[in-house]
Amino acid sequence: MDRAERRPVRLVVSDDLRRGRGSVFFRLWFAIPFLFWLTLWGVAAFFAAVANWFATLFSGTSPQVLHGFLARFVRFAVHTYAYLYLAAEPLPGFGGRAGYPIDVEIDPPVRQNRWKVGFRLVLVVPALFLLVAFFGSGTTTSASSGGGVNGLGLLVVAAFLGWFFALVRGRLPRGLRDLIAYGLSYAAQTWAYLTLLTDRYPSSDPLIAIGPLPVREDPVRLESSDDLRRSRLTVFFRALLAIPHLIWLVLWGIAALLAAIGNWFATLFTGTSPAGLHRFLAAYMRYQLHVFAYLYLVGNPFPGFTGERGSYPIELRIAERAPQNRWTVGFRIILALPALLIGNAYGTLVFTIAVLGWFAALFTGTMPLGLRNAGALALRYGAQVNGYLFMVTDAYPYGGPNVAPPPLTADPAFAYSPRGA
Amino acid sequence: MRRPASRLARPSTLVLLAGVALWLWAAYALWHSTASVPEGPSLSPHRFFSASFLERSSSYERFLVVDGLLASLTLLVVLAVYARRGQRLMRESAAGRVGTGMLLGMLGFAVVWLAELPFGLVGVWWQRDHGVSHQGYLEWAVESFLGLGGSFLFIAAALAIAMGLAGPLRRWWWIAAVPAFIGLALLFAFLSPYLVPSTSPLRGPHLAEARALERREGVEGTRFAVEDVDRFTTAPNAEATGLGPTRTVILWNTLLSDDFSRAEVRAVLGHEIAHIAHEDPLKQVGWLALFLIPAAGLIELFTRRRGGMARPEAVPVALLVLVAFQLLATPMFNLVTRRIEASADWSSLEATHEPAVARAMFRRLSTTSHGSPDPPGWTALLYGSHPTIMQRIEMTYAWERARRP
Repeated sequence: MDRAERRPVRLVVSDDLRRGRGSVFFRLWFAIPFLFWLTLWGVAAFFAAVANWFATLFSGTSPQVLHGFLARFVRFAVHTYAYLYLAAEPLPGFGGRAGYPIDVEIDPPVRQNRWKVGFRLVLVVPALFLLVAFFGSGTTTSASSGGGVNGLGLLVVAAFLGWFFALVRGRLPRGLRDLIAYGLSYAAQTWAYLTLLTDRYPSSDPLIAIGPLPVREDPVRLESSDDLRRSRLTVFFRALLAIPHLIWLVLWGIAALLAAIGNWFATLFTGTSPAGLHRFLAAYMRYQLHVFAYLYLVGNPFPGFTGERGSYPIELRIAERAPQNRWTVGFRIILALPALLIGNAYGTLVFTIAVLGWFAALFTGTMPLGLRNAGALALRYGAQVNGYLFMVTDAYPYGGPNVAPPPLTADPAFAYSPRGA
Repeated sequence: MRRPASRLARPSTLVLLAGVALWLWAAYALWHSTASVPEGPSLSPHRFFSASFLERSSSYERFLVVDGLLASLTLLVVLAVYARRGQRLMRESAAGRVGTGMLLGMLGFAVVWLAELPFGLVGVWWQRDHGVSHQGYLEWAVESFLGLGGSFLFIAAALAIAMGLAGPLRRWWWIAAVPAFIGLALLFAFLSPYLVPSTSPLRGPHLAEARALERREGVEGTRFAVEDVDRFTTAPNAEATGLGPTRTVILWNTLLSDDFSRAEVRAVLGHEIAHIAHEDPLKQVGWLALFLIPAAGLIELFTRRRGGMARPEAVPVALLVLVAFQLLATPMFNLVTRRIEASADWSSLEATHEPAVARAMFRRLSTTSHGSPDPPGWTALLYGSHPTIMQRIEMTYAWERARRP
């Protein structure tokens, strides 16, 4: 298991979340020399990577000199992007030396599988697709074509929002920082894989990306009992099999929207969401999660149509209704805008995961753990956004990866067991 | 002591007999709601087509018929295997009984699609080889795959109704399900003009002629549209679809090419308007309803060993029964549609008074689509939804004869 192993490329986070407002305000300008230097270094790294490819193909191991040079390049790239995207505060050095608050540890060269070396440029393509979902395609699509921020990527959106937050509060929220660090961890692994520093395929698993994760008791949280097995037949036809669910989801969504409006008024006046509306909206949120988990291959079985608790291996645990701050209820739509932006970028990520997972699951009959967990993170964030928007909770969605505490008591409603009748 | 009632005198048998009688009466009434057409003189196809074309078209159609028969056979075999083993796929569901049944229904269609894919591709190859289709193989496969989504939706909705009713009604679900299906069929017939992609309104002289024919055939308010299909095929076609306010005649744009004269297009328009005038789309729903009753009854009968339609295990068996029934009923259904088409041909002649044009148009329909004008009887029985081209040509002579003083 990935989780038990020490990966050859690891992100080390020692950032304390504090940010200087001046440094944040001018961050883009301050980053320009580093980006320029990174470009120059990138040209040299390109030739070094080609040489490393030949050398590793013939000798089976990356030469120490090339490995060291490319490792420094990867480290410098991570430092630069960590600085640019506000995941770290101090200016990075130009030499890619260790010790930066967002740093990368890369193991010394070891023997690599020559087949994997020979076909590296082909093998890396899926990882690059995922990297595009993190960093953006560099192009923006028109609003009329349903685009918008899709072309920006998850990290860019997180940095954009973090910029405003850090300017006001003088610190970056941990969720945003961890989200950026998670993307940088994946980027470091991909660059290292591409430049033949390792033959370990990049893992998109957010649970192992950045070291110890916070344990959070969010009122909307995700639990998984999925075993990663996927039926090839249902995977091949997955998008079509989901059509009845998508239609039902739209119909139910209309009712949920009306219920959410009612819930907004009720919560604004009474301070607490009415029990019936809370239950109805929670069921809708669970159903939506089941359907998207099925559609995006994060879950395997065909979900039920009622959003019943404990009926699906990717499950949403929603806390009982609680008093909410009426000010945040009143301005909920405005307050939710940043979360909606991140949710949109997470949507691009989970779509990419579904496409890559479709091929992987079709050939191997299993969903890669990293893809499954990354997809689950994206779906969990989406569910938290809905919970916030629908006034099911006033807890703001947590943007980064986290772990949920183990349940204190076993709840039979969450004991998923496959059934068909 | 009360004597046990004889088998024939049991109430259920009596109800069944009454039902059969009612069904026969409805079929008789529906059959006679379409006017019969006098038969024409028996003519040799060599009078209208060259020997080489007859040979070519016969070979072309023979191949497609064999391909279709093999596909049907494969369909039955695959569904038979699925009926036996398909219930194993229940483990891929976390839904309740209805949801699981929907999944099994959709997967049944998916398996059938996979099995029939090679036959479809062979058909495309054959049509491309004869210049009838321009569609690429991948393009065809993708389009067919996306079309499967519509089939999934159809089967999922049908199973939701059937299994939803089978829960409370048990063995009598089908009595309530048939009206629901008929309602859906009516809705589909009503909406069908809006489901045809790439259409634009018919304009210019063709539209003026269409309006004139409408008046002659005693209808009004029909919409006329052109469907762009020339990217895929050179074959000409047209259809009358919709109910009431959505009644629409759709011409394929291949029909409006220079290959067909205005008079020939007029003949086609006359035929399609006749369908509208005869209320044929509604009659087709009526026939569908008549065929649905025995089909649903048979499904109920054959699924009892699996616990009836309330159980998802029964769905693969239900699919097999439905498809087998459909295959067996196709010749009968073709008999009905041939009568409907012949009647529309006759009405078109009554409206246009141009039998020579109709003959030329039928000839051209055959030559452009490579269809055999005089296929063997069994082929017409199995696949002939329209009278054969020769029967249609012969009918134009019958019309002339009937017009003579």
